[in-house]
Amino acid sequence: MKISVNTEIAITYLSARKKQTMVAALGVMFGISMFIFMQSLMKGTNDYFEKMSFNTTPHIRLFSENKVADNHMLNSFLADPSIKILTNPKQLEQSQGLTNPYGIIEQIRKNPEVANVTPQVSANVIYTSGSVQITGSVSGVSIDEENKMFDVQGNMVIGNLHDLNRVNNGILIGKGIADKLSLHMGDNITVRSGTGSPMIMRVIGIYATTVKQIDDSRSYANIVQAQNLLGKDRSYVTDIKINVKNYNNAPKVARDIEVISGYKAEDWVQANEQLKAAFKIRAVILNSVIGVILLVAGFGIYNILNMTIYEKIKEIAILKATGFSGSAVTSIFLQQAIYIGLMGGIIGILLGFLITFGVAHIYIGAGNLKYLPMSFYIPHYIEALMFGLVTTVAAGYFPARKASRVDPVTIIRG
Amino acid sequence: MDTALKATGINKVFHDAVNLQVLKNVSLDVKTGEFVSIVGKSGCGKSTLLYVLSTMDTDYEGQLEIGGTLVTGKPLNDLARIRNASIGFVFQFHYLLPDFSCLKNVMIPGLRLGKLPYKEIEAKAYEKLKMFGVEDQALKKANKLSGGQQQRVAIARALINDPTIIMGDEPTGNLDSKNTGIVFDLFQKLTKELGQTIIAVTHDEDFAKRSDRTIEMADGEIKSHGR
Repeated sequence: MKISVNTEIAITYLSARKKQTMVAALGVMFGISMFIFMQSLMKGTNDYFEKMSFNTTPHIRLFSENKVADNHMLNSFLADPSIKILTNPKQLEQSQGLTNPYGIIEQIRKNPEVANVTPQVSANVIYTSGSVQITGSVSGVSIDEENKMFDVQGNMVIGNLHDLNRVNNGILIGKGIADKLSLHMGDNITVRSGTGSPMIMRVIGIYATTVKQIDDSRSYANIVQAQNLLGKDRSYVTDIKINVKNYNNAPKVARDIEVISGYKAEDWVQANEQLKAAFKIRAVILNSVIGVILLVAGFGIYNILNMTIYEKIKEIAILKATGFSGSAVTSIFLQQAIYIGLMGGIIGILLGFLITFGVAHIYIGAGNLKYLPMSFYIPHYIEALMFGLVTTVAAGYFPARKASRVDPVTIIRG
Repeated sequence: MDTALKATGINKVFHDAVNLQVLKNVSLDVKTGEFVSIVGKSGCGKSTLLYVLSTMDTDYEGQLEIGGTLVTGKPLNDLARIRNASIGFVFQFHYLLPDFSCLKNVMIPGLRLGKLPYKEIEAKAYEKLKMFGVEDQALKKANKLSGGQQQRVAIARALINDPTIIMGDEPTGNLDSKNTGIVFDLFQKLTKELGQTIIAVTHDEDFAKRSDRTIEMADGEIKSHGR
């Protein structure tokens, strides 16, 4: 391999000062490994929370939303070009149920992006056991579909979820409800909704998600039971829950479904705005920490190269006297910075991987979260190396430029 | 004979606290193959003149031609290339790069020029070191050598690209009389046999006397061109 004389000089200088080179490279190494570790933790956590939110909410939820009265009907009724203004418009009362839900489901199934569709009847209820009452909600579902979408089986504490299809008046309650009302398998519970008559239901299972709020209020019942509870007929459906194949496409699919059905389709991004805000805040915090680390590493390199230049100022003068141009001298010192960056970068990537790997195996056991969620995502490693190189080049540029401006006459003559 | 170097009306002022004119309308020309020494008292401007002639110092008035080309006003990078290819330097204090072996020190200007393949430059560097009897030190780090040896390596380095002009600022200032003799004989051989031009600033009267021509300077002016 033919290496240029600038490279050769740069490498000789670096290897003549092994300790300082190592210290500078270590600075970069820590910066880069922290970058990787933090990015992995952040992405892992974000992915985890995203996934967790899908344990309780579907990618898209279709429901009937109350609308504010507008002048649309008035315009078409009067059909003249004047402008009608409604003063003090009110919310229009609309049935909570969707019109022709099974027709809509058929339509939605035709969309190739859609993976699962299931109807649901939601009812706000009061649970009563003995003299204690708590409020909550019953989700009337087809439990097999529900299980496909949200892995209900994985959350079961006790009982068999399929009993919901077999046991008349069966109910699957959250662990919080069970604790508050002191309920066990097979106990009876009175459930009362706002519209229907109270029903006595039998606990056929208890589940626990990671979300306490849900465990404290929500229970599952067969869709027919929920309809009975509300005193509604068999075609009464309040929500249609939809999972898509790639959840990142959910907003787009939601818009399509809105157009087809005419109802409000809320995608998970809209439903979890606070989650997205948390992602952003976390990104800002971590990026500032990483920025500071790389900045410190950059100053380390700047310092070391500056010192090298003071020490080697006579040699720089000699190089220039023997015909090295300013740009050749810049190249010599910039290359030193780049090699420090590369060395630190490569070791940093390895260390970053090891730290990430190690931390991913630390048991923390909080709720469903057994190990710290870490992601091993190749672009992080590439980004880290890029950032490392940019920092070192930026840090090396100023000393290198200074070196290139050394006036050989002043130095040699003293 | 061709003119190797020609300077016309060189003026130089140091703007250090008070303006001090160190070179006053200096003109000289040096023929190819000439061995010229510049003498004069300390502070008479002879070193300053040499650095102007070397193209390293660009802060002067007047014109400088090397090998028939005007170099005054050329960009710094061009001047660096000219120095690399056609001027060899020997300084008062050897000034080798201490982190490199002697051989590498000699090779570096050759590698910079990049005209020859690595192996040939290496062979050539050995040959130059041999000329000065320091080939056995070739692989030692430069800072492990004695002062005299270092100076001889430095002279070998000045010769690596077969420059047309070799400039020396007290080239034998650090050498004992035996080594001075060796260096002097080699310098003479270079001018006589290879047609290289040598311009050396010196305090050494013997050295000056034995050169082809001695330029005497005093108070920033040339008192005698020596012919």
